[in-house]
Amino acid sequence: MLTVDNLHAGYGASEVLLGVSLTVTQGTVVALIGPNGAGKTTTMRAISGLLKPTGGEISIDGRQVQGMDASRIAKLGLAHAPEGRKVFGPLSVEDNLLLGAYCRLPKFFGFLGKAAHDLERVYELFPRLLERRTQSAGTLSGGEQQMLAIGRALMANPKVMLMDEPSMGLAPVIVEEVFAIINRLKETGITLLLVEQMAKRALEVADYAYVMERGRIVVEGKPAELQKDERVLSAYLGSVATAE
Amino acid sequence: MLKRLFLILGVEALLLVVLAVIPLTVNNSFVLGLLTLLAIYGILLIGLDITVGYLGQVNLAQAAFLGLGAYTAALTVTRFGFGMPAALIAAAAVGCLFGGALSFPALRLEGPQFALSTLSFMALTTTALNEWESLTGGAQGLQVPRPPLFGVMLGPKGFYWLCLILLVFVWIAMRNLLSSQWGRAFEALRDSPIATDAMGIGTLRNKAAAFTLGSGLGGLAGGLYAFNFQYLQPQVFVYDLMVILLLGVVLGGRKSLWGAFVGATIVVLLPNLLSSRILFQAFSGLGFLLALTAGIRGFVTKTTRPFQAVAPVVAMGMLVVGGIFTSNTEDWRKAIFALMLFAVMVGLPEGLMGFAASFLTRLFRIPPPELPEPVPLDEVLVKKVTDGGPLLELLDLKHYFGGVRAVDGVTLTISSGAIHGLIGPNGSGKSTLVNVISGLYAPTSGGILLHGKPLAKGSLFKVAQRGLSRTFQNLQLFSELSALDNVMVAMKGIYRSPLPLVLLGLTRKNERRAQIDALTLLKMVGLMDDCRVPAKDLPYGAQRFLEIARALARRPDLLILDEPAAGLAQPDITRLLQIIRRIHDRGITIILIEHHMDVVSELCNIVTVLDHGKIIAEGEPGEVKRHPKVIEAYLGGTVEPAGQQYIEQGNIVPVPA
Amino acid sequence: MNDSVVAQMVVSGALMGLVYALIAYGFQLTYATSKSINFGQGELVMVSAFICLSLTNLGLPYPVMVPLGLFCGSLLGLFVERSGVRLALEQKSEGWILLTIIIGLLFFSVSENIWGRDDRPFPTPIPSDAIQLFGISVTPVEISVAVGVFMIMGIIELFKRKTLLGKAFEAVSADRDAAELMGISATKTIMLSYSLSGMVAALAGILVAPITTVGPTMASALVLKAFSVAVVAGLDSGFGVVVIGLFLGALESLTSYYVGSGWREAPGLVLLILALAIRPTGVFGAAVIRKV
Repeated sequence: MLTVDNLHAGYGASEVLLGVSLTVTQGTVVALIGPNGAGKTTTMRAISGLLKPTGGEISIDGRQVQGMDASRIAKLGLAHAPEGRKVFGPLSVEDNLLLGAYCRLPKFFGFLGKAAHDLERVYELFPRLLERRTQSAGTLSGGEQQMLAIGRALMANPKVMLMDEPSMGLAPVIVEEVFAIINRLKETGITLLLVEQMAKRALEVADYAYVMERGRIVVEGKPAELQKDERVLSAYLGSVATAE
Repeated sequence: MLKRLFLILGVEALLLVVLAVIPLTVNNSFVLGLLTLLAIYGILLIGLDITVGYLGQVNLAQAAFLGLGAYTAALTVTRFGFGMPAALIAAAAVGCLFGGALSFPALRLEGPQFALSTLSFMALTTTALNEWESLTGGAQGLQVPRPPLFGVMLGPKGFYWLCLILLVFVWIAMRNLLSSQWGRAFEALRDSPIATDAMGIGTLRNKAAAFTLGSGLGGLAGGLYAFNFQYLQPQVFVYDLMVILLLGVVLGGRKSLWGAFVGATIVVLLPNLLSSRILFQAFSGLGFLLALTAGIRGFVTKTTRPFQAVAPVVAMGMLVVGGIFTSNTEDWRKAIFALMLFAVMVGLPEGLMGFAASFLTRLFRIPPPELPEPVPLDEVLVKKVTDGGPLLELLDLKHYFGGVRAVDGVTLTISSGAIHGLIGPNGSGKSTLVNVISGLYAPTSGGILLHGKPLAKGSLFKVAQRGLSRTFQNLQLFSELSALDNVMVAMKGIYRSPLPLVLLGLTRKNERRAQIDALTLLKMVGLMDDCRVPAKDLPYGAQRFLEIARALARRPDLLILDEPAAGLAQPDITRLLQIIRRIHDRGITIILIEHHMDVVSELCNIVTVLDHGKIIAEGEPGEVKRHPKVIEAYLGGTVEPAGQQYIEQGNIVPVPA
Repeated sequence: MNDSVVAQMVVSGALMGLVYALIAYGFQLTYATSKSINFGQGELVMVSAFICLSLTNLGLPYPVMVPLGLFCGSLLGLFVERSGVRLALEQKSEGWILLTIIIGLLFFSVSENIWGRDDRPFPTPIPSDAIQLFGISVTPVEISVAVGVFMIMGIIELFKRKTLLGKAFEAVSADRDAAELMGISATKTIMLSYSLSGMVAALAGILVAPITTVGPTMASALVLKAFSVAVVAGLDSGFGVVVIGLFLGALESLTSYYVGSGWREAPGLVLLILALAIRPTGVFGAAVIRKV
């Protein structure tokens, strides 16, 4: 569904990605893990078009998308719940969700009716959002904002979804909830590329995983294999894990 | 060195001689009038270039300062019988005064708001000049006799020479200023006001000084303007004039004395150019060809966006076509200015002189000025005595963003002489914590003590002055300035030079010392050889090191390094370790925020781990690494019943040391 | 001084203030999406008014002329966006400030040469004989200004709040990257905001022309006051511009009565500089957080 081949990208003079290749097949959850600064978020931004790649190919559902504007890539069926959540602070929770489905909805009137079904689905998944639907998104707690960011991405009914660090800055109990949601989504057959700092948690839900370090994929494989891999542990805490 | 001096000073001297001699050889009052106006506009545009070029702000008030200066000079002569020197001083002083008064409200603003407030000032001045009839004579205008200069009545030639001499003085003074710390600070402000504040250079006061100075020059030019024409009308000092002035600066080239001079020449010659149709057609044709070649070149080399290549051609093409079909070019004056300005703004943003300067430097291979030798590091960073006592104390510090508790009650002591590691997962509040400490954010609650005394909250500038220096996670370099200048900017607070001495060029010694110090610091981080390279063109790793060198220029007691290893490759990390050790050797206490655990274990004597804005562990690196909570926070380890864990999270659990 | 005269002054000044508010609203529309404003907005008002005058002279009836004029206004807005704003925004520079001033100057010169430098009356079917309301005389033309201003601002605000496209507008201003990820094209949204802003400018021209007459300089004073209103109210508060517009209009008419008509521009300008000094984000604007 999503293939990335020899992707290069960076900010100004500094190259962050030095040839990243990965594949996400339909209906699987793929985890991308690695230490900070490895280029995970940059990979996500390059795939979704927020950052123009300097080389390599990206295709979604067989269609080449590298170099396109993010808005066009989104229309082709990619949804991205970005790092740091990036909800639309001044808008209400429901408006945030509606905008998630922007590509599919009529632009002037009648969008509410058409989105009702999807809204219901998301509210069912995140009952907390239903309680807060008229509240402005900026006043939500960190966990609620993360729920909203995921819900907003789901509203697009995407072919592929990218989720960047959903656990970032969240209390463990909320992280639990987030991963429970990811598990439920997995049951519904979502195609997901998940970047996560909590490697262990990510490997628990993933069907397949890639480990990144300094702009390259260094290891890949089934989670069960990776969990035993020295290099995966060392990628996390540097010398910590190996010291143990 | 000689070649450089000879070429640059030689050209300037030659031009001056030519300008001074013309009236002796050509006896034509029209030419003399143009030359006088050229000198006056030269002063005016040099003043305008300070804000537009160096501060990078759109200043729409310079025409108003010209008007204020002109009326001041006129009124001091007619009402109080001032002589010429006193009247000119008064004109410049009034320019400074109003400029200073306007600068405080206006310069807190950036971009559009700044432009708007200067525009309002402009309109307000026009209104006042028109309406205050008892003083200004209103729309009727005001006659100004030219007063004597030290008892001598100046004829047209004498007055021209006076203007020229003043232009030369202004030119020299401005060159002294702009090549000093002040000039560097002005430029630095444009690139990163946050970093200038963090380097202890008051953003506001520097901006105010620059703007005041520019306005003062406007006032001085106004005084000369009044005595040149000997008749003033408020209609002159309006929006139209301001657009023409901007045209001069932009077309001539920003950030350049020569640019201002070329701009002034264009401003003076334009009206005459427009009065002859043939001349105008030739001129517009030339411009069209220029735009066309530049456009095609840009298109082929793909260095510019298509719009940048095409738009100037279209604009100049309109000029050419217009020149053929309209009989009276004078009527279309504004449209012509607009099209020319548009073409230059889009196609040649660095202006004629910016373009010519890089071309000429290459042509004549003008070498850059020589640099002094660096000295041993000891002389720059004198070793500080550390006693291990508390240097920085944080007391229950909190910072919330809306509903997000980024820092949630941190109590922490940094002892002097330590390298104190601060680690934690993404979003755990590390960066917010140092942003609060360094004064970027005011904390929601809690206290910060440095050397046992409370630290100013929410002011980068005040915190920097107390001896705390920092780097930034997302680099905040002065990207247009060279590596050397980046470090020298930060020395402004160390080697203080009063503005008047700088203008007279009497601070070269300080300048030299600052240069030596900066080079020494650059040598320490291994950037000596790249010291002339603009910061934005340095490799990424070098930019990180440059930021460290810059932070050291303030000779801090406490240095905060915010993720210095982020994005660095292994060889650079090794170099970084060496650099940090050397800094520590000089007795500088360091807070190191890092994700690379190996860097932290290597360097730090003590590590604090943050998670969700709270401290979850503290101790020696080895202990902290084994702490179950730390492993969990990073690895997201096996999870006990969630509720219980959440409650425990509320307590700070220090590791027994 | 007679109370009723003061009341009269306040009311007619305030009605004029609504025009400032309308032009200021045009600044807000573009500021919301792109943090840029058109410094040549006054020229858009003027050019649109001239176009409408020409349309009327062609014999088009008022109800046909108005939508056509609004359409031309939005086209002009698009022209400004394409030629003066987009490049600068892409380069993340503030070059748009100078470029929009330049384009305004071009418009000014062109219309000066096409339509001449004289002020001309603007025919309107709305009668201009004063009527008495609560002892204050107002003309139907003045009332039409108020009705027009509230109508268009109401429609646009409804559009922003009730349609998905309008919400997309706010999304772009809240977080451009995130909006792009939702499939909302920031470039198109900015174009839309400029065309709406041009339309608002055209309407301001149509409404105010019967009062001020049409001439190249008709909007130069108006737009200065609109700047004041936009900045004093804050560049992101639609409600604020109406309040400040009414206030400034009234203040101005009192100033010209007590101090002299030449000084009528002064309070707005002083207010602007003061407001910026005390509260740079405007009276009704939101505070900003510095980020590193």
